[in-house]
Amino acid sequence: MQDYREFMEEVLVDEQAIQKRVAELGDQISHAYQGQELLVVCLLRGGMTFAADLTRCLTVSHTLDCMSLSSYGVGRYATSGNVRVNLDLLTNIQGINVLLVEDIVDSGRTLAHVLEMLKTREPQSLKVCVLLDKKYRREVAVDVDYVGFDIPDKYVFGYGIDIDEHYRYLRFIAAADLKKYRKGA
Amino acid sequence: MQDYHEFLAEVLIDESTLQKRIRELAAEINRDYQGEDLLLICILRGGIVFMVDLMRQITVPHAMDCMALTSYGVGARASSGNIRMSLDLQTNIEGKNVLLVEDIVDSGHTLTHVLEMLKTRNPKSLKVCALLDKAGRRELPVPIHYRGFTIPNKFVFGYGLDLDEYYRNLPFVAVVDPNKYKPSV
Repeated sequence: MQDYREFMEEVLVDEQAIQKRVAELGDQISHAYQGQELLVVCLLRGGMTFAADLTRCLTVSHTLDCMSLSSYGVGRYATSGNVRVNLDLLTNIQGINVLLVEDIVDSGRTLAHVLEMLKTREPQSLKVCVLLDKKYRREVAVDVDYVGFDIPDKYVFGYGIDIDEHYRYLRFIAAADLKKYRKGA
Repeated sequence: MQDYHEFLAEVLIDESTLQKRIRELAAEINRDYQGEDLLLICILRGGIVFMVDLMRQITVPHAMDCMALTSYGVGARASSGNIRMSLDLQTNIEGKNVLLVEDIVDSGHTLTHVLEMLKTRNPKSLKVCALLDKAGRRELPVPIHYRGFTIPNKFVFGYGLDLDEYYRNLPFVAVVDPNKYKPSV
């Protein structure tokens, strides 16, 4: 496996900045749902690190559920088609406050599909919290209620986000120079 | 939702003890898999918090995948029957070093089934890392190669472990006083 330092262009968000921002989001969300019940939905696998840290910053009572999605198209960011649900929620969300937790929003297509699908189940409310927002890549308008960081249109990895399944463990978010990255090397 | 202070009998493992032990486990894993590639498998949903913290201390190259299991019987932990895989691995584990990461091992029935099933896929190696070992409840012998803590036969929650889906986000592992705990409807 290639050492990430060989293809890392820059650290976009360092560990301290992430943890500070996650705590702020936790406060904001706790405040917004004060006195209410909340279901946090973690989108696998990219959202796991963020969800694990964010929920530990929540002071409102909440449950956690997971969804695993894949697109029928090709490539994680090239998707424009429908979304396939590999793992659906165990929880019936009818009448429940739902907060979808995602690592990154890009074109918005996947997120838009998931939101439409979940809305058919009539939750009491449905909001979105993303750590990273690649606004410039947006193709479909989606309401993102909580955003960690707006980031430029770069290929990012770390803090739950992989490159070919690796580097999720890094405690910061970095941009990759894909010309220097060698798959499986 | 009931405040956990009302039914918390004791904090079994506090946050700093947990985090210190996780760093030690990761150091062992880093040493044992030096020069090898590794696939970590997270068992949803209880294992997420442990996985995320452990993964961030693992410096050998590794990928991470998830499995969701349910038993055909009643109650996941009380199960002695077969296991239903609600989410299978995306990764083909043939020829790979696989490390199963579990929050807790109890009777050992679920873990035995998972290990048997994964072995049929011919991984290069298959090991188990469990944060908590309720050794006194064991009904089937299972190999635990990396063990966080051996704990008494008490009803525990926190750090990924839920009580009726709540309290997974607590940064410590605590014991429930069942006489004081009132499950919400």
